[in-house]
Amino acid sequence: MNFEIFLQLYGYLALMVIMVISLYGIVRGASLIKKLIALTIFGDTANALIIFLGFKFGEIYPPVLPTLKPTLEDIAWFVSTAVDPVPQCLVITAVVINMAITMFLAFLVIQIYRLYGTTMVKKIAKLKG
Amino acid sequence: MTWTNYIAGLAALQPFLAIFAAFALPLISLLAKRRQIWECFTLTILLINFALSLIVFYYMYNFSCKPLLYAFGSWPPPIGIVYTIDRGASLIGLLINGLVLTAMIFSIRYMEHEGGTQWYYTLMLGFEAGMLGCVYTGDIFNLFVMLEVMSISAYGLVAFRRETHEAVEAAIKYAIVGSVATTIYFIAVIFAYGSFGTLNMADLALKLKDSTLPITGPPIGDILIGSTVFLTLAFWALSLKAAIAPNHFWLPDAHPAAPSPISALLSGIMVKVAIFALMRYMLTIFKGTIPTFPVVELLNYTLITMGVLSTILGSTLMLVQRDIKRLIAYGTILNIGYIAMGVGLANLSGLVASLFHIVNHAIGKALLFMAAGAYIHVTGSRDLDELTGVGRRMPFTTAAYLVGALALAGAPPLSCFMSKLLLFKAYLESGWLAPLVVVIVLTSVFALMGYLKVFYHVYAKQPTRDISSVKEAPTLMVVPLLVLASLCIVLGIAAPIIVDNVIVPGALSLLNTQDYVLAAQEAAKLIMEGG
Repeated sequence: MNFEIFLQLYGYLALMVIMVISLYGIVRGASLIKKLIALTIFGDTANALIIFLGFKFGEIYPPVLPTLKPTLEDIAWFVSTAVDPVPQCLVITAVVINMAITMFLAFLVIQIYRLYGTTMVKKIAKLKG
Repeated sequence: MTWTNYIAGLAALQPFLAIFAAFALPLISLLAKRRQIWECFTLTILLINFALSLIVFYYMYNFSCKPLLYAFGSWPPPIGIVYTIDRGASLIGLLINGLVLTAMIFSIRYMEHEGGTQWYYTLMLGFEAGMLGCVYTGDIFNLFVMLEVMSISAYGLVAFRRETHEAVEAAIKYAIVGSVATTIYFIAVIFAYGSFGTLNMADLALKLKDSTLPITGPPIGDILIGSTVFLTLAFWALSLKAAIAPNHFWLPDAHPAAPSPISALLSGIMVKVAIFALMRYMLTIFKGTIPTFPVVELLNYTLITMGVLSTILGSTLMLVQRDIKRLIAYGTILNIGYIAMGVGLANLSGLVASLFHIVNHAIGKALLFMAAGAYIHVTGSRDLDELTGVGRRMPFTTAAYLVGALALAGAPPLSCFMSKLLLFKAYLESGWLAPLVVVIVLTSVFALMGYLKVFYHVYAKQPTRDISSVKEAPTLMVVPLLVLASLCIVLGIAAPIIVDNVIVPGALSLLNTQDYVLAAQEAAKLIMEGG
């Protein structure tokens, strides 16, 4: 039991640290590619966070009821063993959205490289004019 | 199925129709290579949507004082996604549909020399779907999805002229900042789900009052911490989408870089959709429900501070701009500040002023951007020094611009004067915040100076170059301008009637948490008994 609490705390702490690091990367990244990578890490950390939220330690079964006409005991067993399915639905949606944004940003970075010949933020700011 | 279900269904049909058309248009463009066909298709869909929103608006204001609820797939509220349409939402929905329709008609001639217009209209339809979804939705995660639909379309539209340095640079800045904001909103949703165990807005409001919808149980975590974290993160993310200072830095680059009709939509309604979502959270769902920890009150004062900061920043920076579209974009920051100040008061008079200002500013700002678009279309330049004198050759456009500029600056019989007066009154009644009226008056003066600077350059100043070849903009561009200009005048002159009959009921419905929750409860009961 203690080990589980430790694991949970460790997980949340690690996710928070990654989140802060990726935010730093988005703000201070020297190249647009690095900013893009930091942005995907940030999005994935949010997804990992919500998966972690729905996670359960111990004996786990898939969130499917094995009987057609469940009794109260079946439902109680189901609730105590199944992982919360809602976060997984949310993550599927968020992953698709993140993919769309990443693709769009990757296109823009390519376009910036075509126009400016560089992806370094400072050089682009200098070339502006 | 009763009559009201059909009306709610008509509201829910609008985003679906727009997104369906957005996916169908690229396929149509593969078969039919003529731009007239794409334009006709987009125009038909937008007209249908406008008619639907008009029906919903008429029904809401005449026959229904309670919010209507549409449950997708007939799943009862806390399980399935619902759309909750109250009077305020139907008003903003009508505004969105009307402005997108106007901008589309304006685009027909404005985009005539550009290639790839099928993608332009695709993104425009997606943009409309996202905005309508944001306004109608009653589910916090669905709001995130719709916010992303709206934002991705907006990034695409800002980057539409991908060969120009300015558009690509503005789009990448906007897209990085915007996607950080939406991811932070997603993290806020995670915290809300982790503490409340629900994603439904009505269920959130109920759980804060120690009751629940049928089906779900009590909150699964600490709702005090959960709602504090959720509100703070969501506030930050939505204020960034709404461009309230100090989160306004992306707007002056992004809005002018887009094609002019899109600038009109971005400045006119996209920022208001974010403000509307903020109103939903701070005034409908979480209002006065957490007495032990006054996070909502703190956020209200933060909103007022940020609003004052935006008005001052927007109005002063407006004066030094040389680019016509950039100047108008700074005006948006100024006006979003007024709206934030009204929302921050968190009472009826402040909300009425804000809601009325949302309508007035949306119409006025769309008018200004489209008039600027007409100048740019005819002359091909955005620099004020190169636009000198062209207004004399374009009397209708200049007249429309002048009406819009005077309306936004707050000249007496026109629309924004009335909403600023309401805001002024709301602040005078608010006790110790009353000295802030000085800010409203002072920034209005700055705004007038900024807008009239454009008028001086395009009309009064002697032309610096040969303008004899300049002609009035095409009829299809002038007609939307004149329609919007007459709306500015009508909204100003008929303001008392409109405020009493449209704005006040809308604001009351936004403040009425009880009816909002009751609608969800009744719908849940009805579906559970029926199935």
